[in-house]
Amino acid sequence: MRSPRILEVWKLGTVNYLKSLKLQEKLVSERKDHRIPDTLLSLQHPPTYTLGKRRTDHNLLIPESELTKIGAELHYTQRGGDITFHGPHQAILYPIISLRSIGIGARNYVETLERSMIEFALIYGVKARAGHKCETGVWVGDRKIGAIGVRISSGVTSHGLAFNIDPDLKYFEHIVPCGIADKEVTSLRRETETLLPSEEVIHEQLVSCLAKAFSYDDVVWKEDPSLILDTHEDNE
Amino acid sequence: MWASSTANALKLSSSVSKSHLSPAFSISRCFSTVLEGLKYANSHEWVKHEGSVATIGITDHAQGHLGEVVFVELPEENGSVSKEKSFGAVESVKATSEILSPISGEVIEVNKKLTDSPGLINSSPYEDGWMIKVKPSSLAELESLMGPKEYTKFCEEEDAAH
Repeated sequence: MRSPRILEVWKLGTVNYLKSLKLQEKLVSERKDHRIPDTLLSLQHPPTYTLGKRRTDHNLLIPESELTKIGAELHYTQRGGDITFHGPHQAILYPIISLRSIGIGARNYVETLERSMIEFALIYGVKARAGHKCETGVWVGDRKIGAIGVRISSGVTSHGLAFNIDPDLKYFEHIVPCGIADKEVTSLRRETETLLPSEEVIHEQLVSCLAKAFSYDDVVWKEDPSLILDTHEDNE
Repeated sequence: MWASSTANALKLSSSVSKSHLSPAFSISRCFSTVLEGLKYANSHEWVKHEGSVATIGITDHAQGHLGEVVFVELPEENGSVSKEKSFGAVESVKATSEILSPISGEVIEVNKKLTDSPGLINSSPYEDGWMIKVKPSSLAELESLMGPKEYTKFCEEEDAAH
C-alpha cells in the first residue's frame, strides 16, 4: 500500500521572472533532498520574453533595446523549448516534482502536462489537442493556446507550462513563437463563448486538472504573500 | 548470435549486432535493451571501461523515456567530470534533461557528431550515440556501479512505480 501522494500548491499572484527562477532553484534543491513534497507554483508574470537553453534569439524579431519601450524584459534560461512570451492573463504553472518517485521520464511528463491543459480547455468547451511531432504544446486547430518548456535536473522538474487565458496577443508579434512561423497564437477568451469566471477560479481549475492528470491523492493549497517576501529577503 | 525468439523479444538495433557486446538475458517491461559488459548508474547512464578509457552515454531505457533528442550539450575536452554531477544536457520534447556522470575523471574526448546528429542518442544509444570518453580517477567508483542484471531490475522497479 503506497503512501498518499500530496501536491503542495503555492498561489503566488504576479511574480517577477527572475524572482520566480530563484524560488524554483531553491525548491528544486529542497525537493532533491526530500525536504519538501512535490510542489506546484501557480502564478503570472509581468510582460517577459524568455529563451531556452538553445538560445534561439534569432526568433526575437525586435532589437533587445526596444523591449524596455514596450515594457518587457528578456531572460535566457536553462529550460527546453524556444522563445516565448509570458504576461498578464496568462496562467503559469511551474511543477517542482520528482519524476523518479513516479517512475516517468521527460516524454511522459510533457505529455501529461499537455493532457492537463487539454482537460482544462474542455471545461470551457474548447477542443484542444497535443502538438504533432516537434510541436510540443497545446493547440486549437492550428492556433497555439498552451506552451511548455521544462528543465529536469536529477529527475526533478522546474519551469513548466503557460496557458493563454486572455493575454495581450500583440506581444507575440515580436517573436516567432516557439520557433514555429506561420502559426497563430490564441487564448481561451478567443476560443470560447462561455463567460470566463475570475482568474483565481480559472487558475484553481487548471491546477486541479494537473493534479488529476498526475494522479495526486491530495492537494494542499498555500497562499502566503510572505513566501515571496522570504525569497526577496534571501536576495538581500 | 542469439536465437531468433530472443531477437524478437529484445528491441535490437542493427548496430548492436555488429559489436562484441551482447544483450542481457532478461527483458525489462518496456523492452529496452540492456547490454552485458557495461556498468550502469541509477540515473540511466552507462559506462564501458576499456583499459584506461571509460566511454559514457545514456541507456536505451533513458532515450526511450526522453523522446526524440534534438539538442545535446557536452563539456569541453580536457575538462573534468565528477561522479553524480551533471556534465551536460539533452533536449527532447521541449525538456532539457541533465546528464550525470557515473564516475569522476578527465574528459579526453567528446562525441562531436552529436552536435549535428543528436538523434544518434535515440537510434544508437550504446554505440554511435556515445557522449564522452573519460580517464577515470577511481576504480572503486566503477566497481560500485550496477551490472546489467541489477540495472534491468532497477528499471523494472522504477517503471512499476508509475
